[in-house]
Amino acid sequence: MGYKITKKENLSAIDFFMEVEAPHIAKSWKVGQFVVLIVDEKGERVPMSVYYADRENGRIGMFIRRHGVTTFKLWYEKKVGDEILSIAGPLGKPIEVKHYGNVVFAADAVCAQAEAYATLKAMKEASNYTIAIHSFENKANTYPEEYLAKPVADEFYITTEDGSVGRKGHYLDILKELIEQDKVDIVFAGGKLGSLKKLAELTRPYGIPTIVTVRQIMVDGTGMCGSCRVLYDGEIKFACRDGPMMDAHKIDWDDAIKRNARFAEQEKLAREIYLAKLREKGVI
Amino acid sequence: MAGPKLIKERVPTPEVPVEERVKSFVEVNLGYDFVSAVKEAERCLQCNPAPCIQGCPVHINIPGFIKALRENAESPEEAVKNALRIIWDDNTLPAITGRVCPQEEQCEAPCVMGKAGEPINIGKLERFVADYARKHGIEKELLKEFTSTENGVKGKVAVVGSGPAGLTCAGELAKMGYKVTIFEALHKPGGVLVYGIPEFRLPKEILDREIAKLKELGVEIKLDHIVGKTVTLEELLEEYDAVFIGTGAGTPKLLNIPGILLDRIYTANEFLTRINLMKAYKFPEYDEPISIGKKTIVIGAGNTAMDAARSALRMGSEVTIAYRRGREDMTARIEEIKHAEEEGVKFEFFLNPVEFIGDENGKVKAVKFEKMKPLGEKDSKGKRKIVGTGEYITLEADTVIIAIGLEPNRIISEEATALKTNPDGTLVVDENLMTSIPGVFAGGDAIRGEATVILAMGDGKKAAKAIDEYIQKKRLPA
Repeated sequence: MGYKITKKENLSAIDFFMEVEAPHIAKSWKVGQFVVLIVDEKGERVPMSVYYADRENGRIGMFIRRHGVTTFKLWYEKKVGDEILSIAGPLGKPIEVKHYGNVVFAADAVCAQAEAYATLKAMKEASNYTIAIHSFENKANTYPEEYLAKPVADEFYITTEDGSVGRKGHYLDILKELIEQDKVDIVFAGGKLGSLKKLAELTRPYGIPTIVTVRQIMVDGTGMCGSCRVLYDGEIKFACRDGPMMDAHKIDWDDAIKRNARFAEQEKLAREIYLAKLREKGVI
Repeated sequence: MAGPKLIKERVPTPEVPVEERVKSFVEVNLGYDFVSAVKEAERCLQCNPAPCIQGCPVHINIPGFIKALRENAESPEEAVKNALRIIWDDNTLPAITGRVCPQEEQCEAPCVMGKAGEPINIGKLERFVADYARKHGIEKELLKEFTSTENGVKGKVAVVGSGPAGLTCAGELAKMGYKVTIFEALHKPGGVLVYGIPEFRLPKEILDREIAKLKELGVEIKLDHIVGKTVTLEELLEEYDAVFIGTGAGTPKLLNIPGILLDRIYTANEFLTRINLMKAYKFPEYDEPISIGKKTIVIGAGNTAMDAARSALRMGSEVTIAYRRGREDMTARIEEIKHAEEEGVKFEFFLNPVEFIGDENGKVKAVKFEKMKPLGEKDSKGKRKIVGTGEYITLEADTVIIAIGLEPNRIISEEATALKTNPDGTLVVDENLMTSIPGVFAGGDAIRGEATVILAMGDGKKAAKAIDEYIQKKRLPA
């Protein structure tokens, strides 16, 4: 048994979009929750953010970065119509969708780019004023606009570090301006942990609630292994079970950043072996 | 009575030599062949009443199966078939329990032969019957006798979790004629049997065979389904006549001491799941990585600690088990402790960790312990109480595995708030193993905290009976 890939599109120089048949998840997924997928028999369990859940057709969409062996396999080996071994979810706690006032969603990496649309759509339906900020490194890494949160955003920004698309800078720069204009009641964000740490420091003095995706290395994703443990308000919490979206002001970011690089050496080795294989086959 | 001559010593079972087994994950004990099994069976005194049956949590007719085995020594197939039939009446997973039960505390503890010499090797005989039957197609034949012809007619039951409790409950209900669907959160069935217990103690092909057996009985398994997330308990109750929760104790306890977030400090669950379920010991052939150094300290002294220690050893690390109590307080099976020692695992007693010390890269480099000492009195669990001495010692370690216990996962009880729980997360059940929600039953570690495979199986069986009674009563015309 497996789960069929129903769509695949390239998004940028580094990321792609994939849709799979997963009716068990599509019917129960809520904004803020994630899934864990395994590409094949020898694959690892990889947590993924969800772009959308299509209840009617029993499918879920994801944005994926070509970064490690699993995601390379998904991009280079798996075609539409092929199956992946496993996809489980939804996992973690949903975020609370209600009227907050002015809601920002800020993203600067693939997982959060995926979450922006669904989150702001839900927030807009709950009568919030929605502000989307998508940050990319440069033009090559920027997604086509139809994949971004524009249709559900009352205010919409794209930034690039080099200014090649949208505003030059980062979501932190835009947020700073918005905060100074007193336009922010709550921030949801995700992506690079280093940015989230800075974000926490940016909003803390203003007391603006800041709920972010705490991306950590996971195995099962159900609270069984403790790999994703973080220090939260001085207590040990599991990002998979108690998050993944948590109060940025309570996270010990330095430790979270360090823990997220625990297998960097092994990941690099596996990546090199896999890419060498692809080169040998003439795929790349 | 001219009874059999007492043979005080057990017929030995061969084991893979230490130098070979520390380099691989192959099963250590090779078990009996037919001739040696019969020889061991002949040592049995056939006591009546039999204390071994009382010692067994599921009351297997032990003298009965041993007699069946030795009675038909000329026809091994017949002997094994008869023996297996007797075992299956009480235990459908003998290949597993024969390997993982703490027999020395259960059936073998009160064995009369144990008073004169060594007790009958009941565990290895049980394992022999199951293994021989599987290898020679006897199991398949016998399965036909146990397969209900009215599959699905009596009702539909959902079983949550595919560990020992769930597998047993599902098997028993299928045999009675129920349509059973198991919901498993992971991508492979087996629960702790697949993610927790290593290959060298329980080869996964044995588990695979047990799962296949259940499927032949008509049980359906839905993988990747987290009950409480993917589907709610309420939704299950709408579709099924009853639900059994066998979700085990999968939440690791952690030490809340400085340095707990350092790299290369694993919970035993993470370490073992990476190795057993995800085959990280075959990285990079398999994609899941693991990072292990040259000096590993395992904290704890139960079966999980032994499994973690022996796995770390096989991955090329020196291993020391550090336990806050004494040698005689260790909770692991005797065989596991023996194997660990043979393989070169070192043991340090009366050491309680107080701090993990890291290097400049955030990796653990040492563990600081307080030396403990025992007091005369015992605690509620019958273990000697211990106190700190105020003296400290630091041991070098570049890998630490924490194996200090597990609690039930609360995913279901957090979602289904009507489900009553105890403070430790275990589910509250009545004498029929029914929870606070009518029609929802539970057993195994989900109600006991951390216990054994056989107790979980006993619960699965008891719950199956209770579920049958519950459903049949519900169906009676008013």
